[in-house]
Amino acid sequence: MNRRQFILTASAAALATPAFAAAKKETLNIFCWSEYIPQSVIDQFAKANNVKVNVENYASNEEMMAKLQAGSSKYDLIQPSEYIIEEMVKDGKLETIDLANIPNFKNLDPKFTKMPHDPENKYSVTWMAGNVGICVNKAKVKDPIKTYADVFQDKFKKRIVVLDDNREMVSWALASLGIGINDITKENLEKAKGVLAKWLPLVKLYDSDSPKTALLNGDCDLGIIWNGEGAKILQEMKKSKKRKLDFEYVLPTEGAHMFIDSLAVPKGAKNKAVAEKFINYILEPKVSVAVYDEFPYTLANAEGCKLLKPDQLANNASFPVGDPKLDTFKMISPDMAGAIDKVVTDLKNK
Amino acid sequence: MQAAISTAAQVKGPQRRPGWTGWLLMAPMLLWLLAFVVVPTAILFVYSFCERGTPVEWKFTWENYARVFGGTELWPLLKCVLEAAGVTAVAVLVDWFRSPSRMREERAESAKRVGTAIFVTVLLWIVWTDLSNVFTGTYVRIFVRSLYYAGFTTLACAAVGYPVAYCIGKASDRWRNLLLMLVMIPFWTSFLIRTYAWITILNENGLMNAFLQSARITQEPISMLYTPGAVVLGLVYSYLPFMILPIYGSVEKLDNSLVEAAFDLGASPVRAWQTVILPLTQPGIIAGVLLVFIPAIGMFAITDLMGGKTVPMIGNVIQNQISGQARDWPFGAALGMTLLAMFAAAFWFTTRKQGDDAVMG
Repeated sequence: MNRRQFILTASAAALATPAFAAAKKETLNIFCWSEYIPQSVIDQFAKANNVKVNVENYASNEEMMAKLQAGSSKYDLIQPSEYIIEEMVKDGKLETIDLANIPNFKNLDPKFTKMPHDPENKYSVTWMAGNVGICVNKAKVKDPIKTYADVFQDKFKKRIVVLDDNREMVSWALASLGIGINDITKENLEKAKGVLAKWLPLVKLYDSDSPKTALLNGDCDLGIIWNGEGAKILQEMKKSKKRKLDFEYVLPTEGAHMFIDSLAVPKGAKNKAVAEKFINYILEPKVSVAVYDEFPYTLANAEGCKLLKPDQLANNASFPVGDPKLDTFKMISPDMAGAIDKVVTDLKNK
Repeated sequence: MQAAISTAAQVKGPQRRPGWTGWLLMAPMLLWLLAFVVVPTAILFVYSFCERGTPVEWKFTWENYARVFGGTELWPLLKCVLEAAGVTAVAVLVDWFRSPSRMREERAESAKRVGTAIFVTVLLWIVWTDLSNVFTGTYVRIFVRSLYYAGFTTLACAAVGYPVAYCIGKASDRWRNLLLMLVMIPFWTSFLIRTYAWITILNENGLMNAFLQSARITQEPISMLYTPGAVVLGLVYSYLPFMILPIYGSVEKLDNSLVEAAFDLGASPVRAWQTVILPLTQPGIIAGVLLVFIPAIGMFAITDLMGGKTVPMIGNVIQNQISGQARDWPFGAALGMTLLAMFAAAFWFTTRKQGDDAVMG
């Protein structure tokens, strides 16, 4: 349930009528994160290739998996993160991608190709990278906030927004205990549970769609959010003349999650060729910049980065400075994934 | 006597078995019920005893129901019942000796009425003020909280909707159509968009806080969004028309001469409303209550958006299990079956009670 979803559905419905009149068009069904692919990019691709594009959104990798599990095979292109790609490859749920059809692949920063979750890029191509960090409204919060534990203090009760993502929440607790975010065992989960039991009652809002809104609206003073959302707040801060905004985006010193969101084709997709065409299209430097302009996550397109303005490159939420401790997520067993969901569901509802 | 007549009437007509044409006419409805009610419920029932998998593992387990009722202790609830019973006992005693002139039967009747009302009110109040201690089980508590929220919503809708419906029903034809239109206009846009509008109004830099501050009613912005109050407000706002329209239906049919007769016989407006208007518009109220309470208890979109997911109702929990990130269909099914069982029990209880009334009447 998110704001883009019904706008997109509405526009899809509006587009559907003329599509009937025209000759039979090819269709590309995209299942992607909310607030991640600009409508303008989709429209331009649709127009240039005479393709009808349908978009549906999700707000967590697990939600996407739930919908795919429910037997939906209508999607041609999905946008999973690194640990989910690993899992889907292992379970044989992804089609291979033919890089020969994607000449723009060369534009990607080598840092974001041939990564451990897909060493040969046989199944996925990086869309954007990003991380999860802390965003603080400095007008309201005077203390320095450097760690997860700094965020979850009693005095900030009901002033905190966090991502509604079970694995993320567990990873913060693990990091703050000094445990590696991928060391998910029964014992470690039990320890994390103890920490989260104290943290989660302080949360005012769980939002993975658009956590920046609550920060900008003043409903929350600090949050643990996607870096793209943080970068957007920093942009807003520079733009706003009327209302003085004072936000900062910091990566917790205990370490943070770096995610590699990628494009992949699920098994049984009907239109792999168009999906590959779309992947190639978004790897055009200019298109990747158009994506960055709207959703300023870490741009993985080296050629695109050359086109960014200096103040965009200086946005420390999009492009981390220094050498912060960043880790990707590794695949975990279904049992552990289930245990995480159970722990967080029980705590959130307490 | 009445009962005897009505039973006789029932025996005569519908007792006859329908012929094949009758079955044929009913077939679409029966098929529809079978395909979309019976079969899905049966599937849910089976799932609720399976283990979590992708999406389910076909292994029998009681685990899901154990989790639904997990952590429940009976003692705190029992304590509440005892407390409420104590208060009730005192109230009934006071009532008993209030006016010595009354007959014994009259006193017993009054004690029964006063006692029931006070017991229910006090019990509901004690439970509500101490919900987290009374219901120790996480999910049982969410069930109870959902009942309360849906109950508040229904009460508020009735309190606001009844006068509105009455005025519309009593307005002149020209005004009536216009007013009905105003009730229905909100349906022309998606309720999600209207919920987002509330977010714009209620947030801390939003319209409501700006108004309160500029009118110097408050100094600092008030947290209104992402609170239980916001959830109930959102529910009342969304379901109000479902209360107004059926009540309007009964008000429109209300025979004015009966109301006039009540006044002619010297009834005060309150008395006339209580003894004539209210009973005659009761069918509309009951329909409204059902139309508001039942959907409200399962609502998840408004609670997610306006409650910030920190004020979950049972609908949110179930939705999160089935199509959300928790991916636990069997547990979601168990929660759904529990909700269904609750409704079935409530239905059985109310119809049985009505049956008793009919026999007594």
